Amino acid sequence: MSEVVEASRATALAAPAHGSIRSGRLGALVQRESVFSWLMLTPPVLFLLAFLGYPFFYGVYLSFFRREVAGSASFVGLGNFVILGNDPIFWQAVRNTVLFTAVATVLKASGGLGMALVMNQSFRMKALTRASLLLPFIVPTVLSTVAWQWILDPGMGLFNRLLVVSGLAKTGPSWLGTPTMAMISIIMVNTWRGLPFFGISILAGLQTIPVELHESATIDGASTWGRFRYVTLPALLPVIFIVTTFSIILTFFDFQLVYVLTGGGPANSTHLMATYAYSLSMGAGQMGLGSAVALSMVPVLGLLLVLLTLYVRKD
Amino acid sequence: MAQPVPSTATRRDFLKLAGGAAGVAGAPWIARNVQAKPAIITFARESSYVKNFDEHFQKVMVPAYQKATGIKIDYQIQAAGGGAVPQLVSMVENKSGADLAWVQQEWLYRDALVDVSDIAEAAGKEQGGWYDEIKALSVDNGKWKSVPQANIGQCMVYRKDWFDEAGIKHFPETWDEFLEAGIKLKAKGHPYGMSMGHGFADNYSWLYPLLWSYGVTVMDKAGKKVALDTNETAKAVDFVRKLYKEACIEDCIGWLDPHNNKAFLTSQISCTNNAYSIMVSAKRDLPEMGKVIDHALNPKGPNGQRYHALVPVTHGVFAYGPDPQAAKDFLRWTMDPKQFRPWIASGDMYFAPYLHAFDKVPEWDIEPRVKPYQKVLETGKLTSWPAPANRAHGAVINRWVVIDMFSKACTGAPTKTVIAEAVAQLKQIYG
Repeated sequence: MSEVVEASRATALAAPAHGSIRSGRLGALVQRESVFSWLMLTPPVLFLLAFLGYPFFYGVYLSFFRREVAGSASFVGLGNFVILGNDPIFWQAVRNTVLFTAVATVLKASGGLGMALVMNQSFRMKALTRASLLLPFIVPTVLSTVAWQWILDPGMGLFNRLLVVSGLAKTGPSWLGTPTMAMISIIMVNTWRGLPFFGISILAGLQTIPVELHESATIDGASTWGRFRYVTLPALLPVIFIVTTFSIILTFFDFQLVYVLTGGGPANSTHLMATYAYSLSMGAGQMGLGSAVALSMVPVLGLLLVLLTLYVRKD
Repeated sequence: MAQPVPSTATRRDFLKLAGGAAGVAGAPWIARNVQAKPAIITFARESSYVKNFDEHFQKVMVPAYQKATGIKIDYQIQAAGGGAVPQLVSMVENKSGADLAWVQQEWLYRDALVDVSDIAEAAGKEQGGWYDEIKALSVDNGKWKSVPQANIGQCMVYRKDWFDEAGIKHFPETWDEFLEAGIKLKAKGHPYGMSMGHGFADNYSWLYPLLWSYGVTVMDKAGKKVALDTNETAKAVDFVRKLYKEACIEDCIGWLDPHNNKAFLTSQISCTNNAYSIMVSAKRDLPEMGKVIDHALNPKGPNGQRYHALVPVTHGVFAYGPDPQAAKDFLRWTMDPKQFRPWIASGDMYFAPYLHAFDKVPEWDIEPRVKPYQKVLETGKLTSWPAPANRAHGAVINRWVVIDMFSKACTGAPTKTVIAEAVAQLKQIYG
């Protein structure tokens, strides 16, 4: 009996031994960091090439052509950029984009910092409050923007009804009907949507600051402002920098919000570069010119990415 | 009823010839063509504001066609509100999607559409002939590239009770009278709401007719020379600025297409320019308001003429589809009066056919207040008028060049500046 067992054990051991050499080699290969990292990187790289790389380079290619929908392309060199250089609406879109991005980012950063400082305190239903603050970020933009359309409606909208009912105004302002108010409104909605991103990220940063630092600062006689200025803020700067950079990129390329709320109107006063590129390409069928507008946004993105990379490397 | 599928005899004849000539080498290609009758045809169309219209198509026409031919129609409803054109553009660019569609802004992709002259000419012959103006859109180089289905009429929608209260017994005949009435109505808290934002129909449906009635067109007939830079344009711009300041709700220069419907239905405005969807909604949801809404033709201008802007619904067949002939056969079937008339009737005449046979059909008498939407065809022009409806004209519409000329003036920009900016854009677009 024992002979039989021994024999079968020997067979069992011998059989995988042959295979294990092969799988061992493969295993060793995969174990090598260079191979393993490339294995992990390949799927996302392929994905990025297919869904970001191809459209991007196709866009670059198109921007040098006069190319209309379903039509043939003719090379115009920098012709599209020359046209844009002389196009007052393009420059208006550039100014609008810079203003929109700058104001919205400052509001989101300062508001987000405030939100994080409040959320870092202890109070009842803290977890629920924190979770609910994420809502604007979770709800699909188009959906929330349609809701904002109703909120900003001059007659039946929530804002104007509140103003009228509370007696603060006889009639509320035309939130989307005048150039200045329309710009203020889109900045407000963008800020509302982006605030939680700042708030939650900065809150995460706040929670990494050791309590001991605050305690020793308090013992040294630092006031609340002093603790914030010399302990909290320096510790938060890396988080704020990265979140702000990401936010600038996202805000600079914002499209859905303006497309749904104003379509770039009235009189182009809320046209951003993204909406103008879309209206030229997909509306007017001028693919080359639209691509040139889109490409004009790339240097800003490039600069931000360089700054971000330098900062991350420095760390 | 029109023959719905490619004739079997032709296919057999073809097979005999091809089989003999090509032999075994051609077998796979022939095999593909033997099964030429497709199982399914995809028809893309923007959703209708009139629920019955889409329902009639899906519940009556689709089963009827399937019963007659064995071919299923996949009715791909596209969301209304300006999203259909980008979808169509993507389809054409990618050579995929639907076999036939409501080819909105067809000038963008006419090359991708097959010749449907046989269908259009037969329908015209059988149903009283086509309105001439629509040919400027559907006929390209002597060939029909789309079959016009109908016009979505745009004219003045107003609150008759408020007009009566203000002592305005008849809807104004001229733009000047329209302004005068508007001042009275605004004083009573019932301003007009004339859309001037980046929408896609309710803005140009009154601004272009107004411009035309000042004797101005955007381009000359050949579409070569900008015709906008005139004193009459300046007068039209000054008029719109005055109308906006003295008779309109402040918000309307930023309105997209749904906004005037919403403002009207919430009693914020007394008049707007729109399709008759406002009355459809009011009769359904606000019956009291539904009783006091009326429609009127656009007022006449200084040149003594009144105009309307056409909003055409045309159907076209994509050349790159797997079986354009089968799609054409289906399109021919829909234009057969046996199918076409009940289909149009199901939409409560929201869609007014460009065929003269429909001018006086009793369906127009079911709701007499809708009749102006038939009348707009008599004075209706394409937004390209009198120039060709081509890509350049499409760019002018989609970049809101003329609309923004007026809306900028309303925000305070000088008349000369707004006209000069519009002219510069037109020159760039028309090259």
